[in-house]
Amino acid sequence: MSRLDDELRNAFKRQQPPADFSARVLERVARQPETRPSLWQRLSALVETPKMRWVAIGVTAALLIAIGAAQYSRLTSKAVDDTGKLSQVVPPPQEKKAAVKPAEIDSLISHPNAVVVPKKHTLSLKRHQLAAARVEKAPEMKSEAEAAKDKLMLALSIASSALNDAQKAVHDDGLKP
Amino acid sequence: MVGWEGTIALNNATGARLDDRIERSALGDQLAFEQIVTQHQGMVFSIACHFLRDRSLAEELAQEVFLSLHQNMHSIKSPEHLTFWLRKVTSHRCIDQSRRLKLRPTVSLEDVAEPAASASENDLFLSEMLRRVVDTLPEKARMVVILRYQEDLEPTEIARVLDMPLNTVKSHLRRSLSMLRDKLSRTLGEVTL
Repeated sequence: MSRLDDELRNAFKRQQPPADFSARVLERVARQPETRPSLWQRLSALVETPKMRWVAIGVTAALLIAIGAAQYSRLTSKAVDDTGKLSQVVPPPQEKKAAVKPAEIDSLISHPNAVVVPKKHTLSLKRHQLAAARVEKAPEMKSEAEAAKDKLMLALSIASSALNDAQKAVHDDGLKP
Repeated sequence: MVGWEGTIALNNATGARLDDRIERSALGDQLAFEQIVTQHQGMVFSIACHFLRDRSLAEELAQEVFLSLHQNMHSIKSPEHLTFWLRKVTSHRCIDQSRRLKLRPTVSLEDVAEPAASASENDLFLSEMLRRVVDTLPEKARMVVILRYQEDLEPTEIARVLDMPLNTVKSHLRRSLSMLRDKLSRTLGEVTL
């Protein structure tokens, strides 16, 4: 510690304001219009109490469980739906000879090499292709469902341990005087 | 006789009391707020006074800081946070005020009056001279010196209060001290500082 340090400490010693300083501050505070804390501030203040914090954790855990269960049931129902489709593979629709419309005759005259496929047939073909693609994807979706199930089980175990902790904390708080 | 255990217990009790005051003040207890003001007014006023070198301006600024504290009482988490918040707000307001009013003295370092008597004979005069020399520093460097020597803060704490990189704080301190040393050794001659 050099002498300069000591001298600086001495030079910058704390000073006291006038005696009525705090009274004047309070006077100004009283003159000020009361500012209401925002909704967010009130909410965060509410959650800050230990009991409410644990309740919030419990509610969050319950919500997570509900969301997870919904997601899981959606995935399993989809998988079941696709497996059902696998058993009743729809045969591709037969291409029927449809009556050629006058407009199509005109286009045939102008483009003799063009193949005309009726609109109805293209739609059913597309549907069939989509169904086939789904059937192809079925094992993939099954594995996805398995993975989701594993994740859900993990989330459930975490949530249940959090709930246990919350319950214990609330119980402990209740025991405190 | 109070041993170290007693001192710790006393500090804990003081902290708990202040914690309680903060909580009550956030809920609108004016008495608790007044106690907080009384406890911290010296710190806030001194930072402002040393920085602005004007008691009435410093008082005005300190009052504004406490008004702002009253509005933000709900965001204060602990006694340490309260002290940090007050130092931070006061420092930033002082720097803003100084820039706004162009309070920085136009006198150069060379114009600062040299003491007629030796330092040992006249400590008050030396202190005043030191304050005047510090007054010639740029705003941030001045605040660094004030926080270092008035509040006894470490460079890391000063960096946090002023939102400044640690190395900048250190270089401000180094440069300010070497400037002060130069000035004082020229003035005091053989006295080593």
